[in-house]
Amino acid sequence: MRNESGPYRVNLFRPKSGYMKGEVAIMLAALVGWGVVTFGFQLLLRLTDVPGRGSWLAGFSFFNLPFHFWFTAQMLPLWFIIICVLFNLCIDRLSKRQSRRRDGFND
Amino acid sequence: MTDAGQKLIPMVIVFAVLLLFVVAGLLYKARESSEYGVSGRYSGRIGGGAAIASNWMSAASFLGMAGLIYLYGYSALAYVIGWTGGYVLLLVLLAGQLRRFGKYTAPDFIGERFESPAARLISAAISIVITLVYSVAQFKGIGIVFAWLIGINYTNGVILGAAILMGYIVLSGTLGVARSQKLQYFVLIVTFILPLMVLAYRLGYFWVMPQFGYGRAMTDLSREFGTDISAPFAHFGLFHWTALCFTLMLGTAGLPHVLSRFYTVSNVRDARWSVVWGLFFIALIYWSAPAYAVFGRLIEARAGIALPPAAAYAMADNVVLRTALLGGLPQWLVGMLAAGAVSAAFFNVAGLLMTGAASVSYDIYYRLVNPQASEGRRMSLAKGATLVLALLVLLGALNPPGLIAEIAAVAFALAGNTIFPAFLLGIWWSGTTRHGVICGMLAGVLITFAQPLFGSLLPLVNTIFPLTASALCGAPLVILITIAVSRFTPPPSEEIRRFLAEEVHGHLE
Repeated sequence: MRNESGPYRVNLFRPKSGYMKGEVAIMLAALVGWGVVTFGFQLLLRLTDVPGRGSWLAGFSFFNLPFHFWFTAQMLPLWFIIICVLFNLCIDRLSKRQSRRRDGFND
Repeated sequence: MTDAGQKLIPMVIVFAVLLLFVVAGLLYKARESSEYGVSGRYSGRIGGGAAIASNWMSAASFLGMAGLIYLYGYSALAYVIGWTGGYVLLLVLLAGQLRRFGKYTAPDFIGERFESPAARLISAAISIVITLVYSVAQFKGIGIVFAWLIGINYTNGVILGAAILMGYIVLSGTLGVARSQKLQYFVLIVTFILPLMVLAYRLGYFWVMPQFGYGRAMTDLSREFGTDISAPFAHFGLFHWTALCFTLMLGTAGLPHVLSRFYTVSNVRDARWSVVWGLFFIALIYWSAPAYAVFGRLIEARAGIALPPAAAYAMADNVVLRTALLGGLPQWLVGMLAAGAVSAAFFNVAGLLMTGAASVSYDIYYRLVNPQASEGRRMSLAKGATLVLALLVLLGALNPPGLIAEIAAVAFALAGNTIFPAFLLGIWWSGTTRHGVICGMLAGVLITFAQPLFGSLLPLVNTIFPLTASALCGAPLVILITIAVSRFTPPPSEEIRRFLAEEVHGHLE
């Protein structure tokens, strides 16, 4: 590939260094957790919908709200916060491990 | 709105809150003058989070969100999810790397990364359009609140509000008022939640956390009146819901004034953690917004006011204030709510206009037209640009084309189709070339406005690229175009690839 000649290459899908490999793995995990829960739940809600009766996910209440409404309106924003916290913890740990391996760490 | 005439107490409160920000800003400046200039000082991660949240909060969050949920129920949650989930993308894909890249504005990043004045110009123009569209939504919110406060019609309200806003910006600029973003966030959250707690208490629901209390109100609403706000996908189907939600997420991670937040944080770790706090502070507002919508519906239903759909659409952006009034809240409390809405819109517009004016004076004039321009000349150009942009926004807001949140969504779609792919590829693929990114951004502009441009010719366009939700199909297409063009054009210089590899992804062994 002409574009990627030379020593300096950055490609999300071909991480080279050990750090970047770890980083990309954490990123992919976070994105999968983000996408599957958010859009997967909507799809599930649609698929379980029975005409005339609605989905069973809407049939019981949780924190006084119909479960599906609670999940989307309240759980998902909380889930995003959880993903961000876990992501930061993992990256912090990765950076620490990396800095031990290498002198002059200055993050 | 429900009642005409001037509202003296709320008016006093709105102006008192605006004055409070000026006084606090002056005190703050006296204390911190040696530290920072315009961008505000950061005190750690929580302070950084408050800055992210107050920078984000706008009339769309404060007034628009509840209005949408009032109208569309579950379907409108696409906005709640889009505007919170976008921060995950921002953190995971961009925040740390952007901080390491160290450029000040979105056009600056694109200009430097792709070493191209043309790419800088295009991204500056896109930033300006985003500023204009987003500000129109804010001006609508300002117009609504001022029309209600003074008891005049919307047109006069928006003109008066714009005049007060410009006066406020000029005054703050002349006095050199520093933005105290922690105070801003504190005022916003108190003015939003406190009236809601009182409302819940008066209606007899769990008032300590109305975020949970409104559930029972929702049950009562559907049992007593058969209005089921929670019915899934009642107003738009799964595809549109997903497209809208995804578009708002990409837009969140691509809005220039949101991206600018990361350049001024002291280090990468704090930048990452302040996103978490910022998201938490934003979620506090969004967990509460549905409560206004549900209480609004319930009060209306109990009072026997059933609005026909057209009238409901016309007043949806007033829902927050209207609910407070119909719920019989004391005048001072309604005034606080109005003050929160006005400050959210004011500071949001001020930030947006500043970003837009910087694109004109720095990215276009200084970097492309006249590199010898003095600082003074650039400053006066920026001031002139702010005024011209504000006038353009006012023109757009006189006849608002939709609901506050819907107008804002178009700005998000544009950002998601142009700036986001450029940043994503620019950071994560060193093979992205200037030609690639230019073609990608131009395609993104066409895609964003495909529905008004080609919708009547090609009905398919209306389905796959709806105006407020074009990025689900649009952004991947833009990314593919950028990659394809990059493959067939000369690669970026070794210098910039080395910078990317060593500085931006600088953990090489």
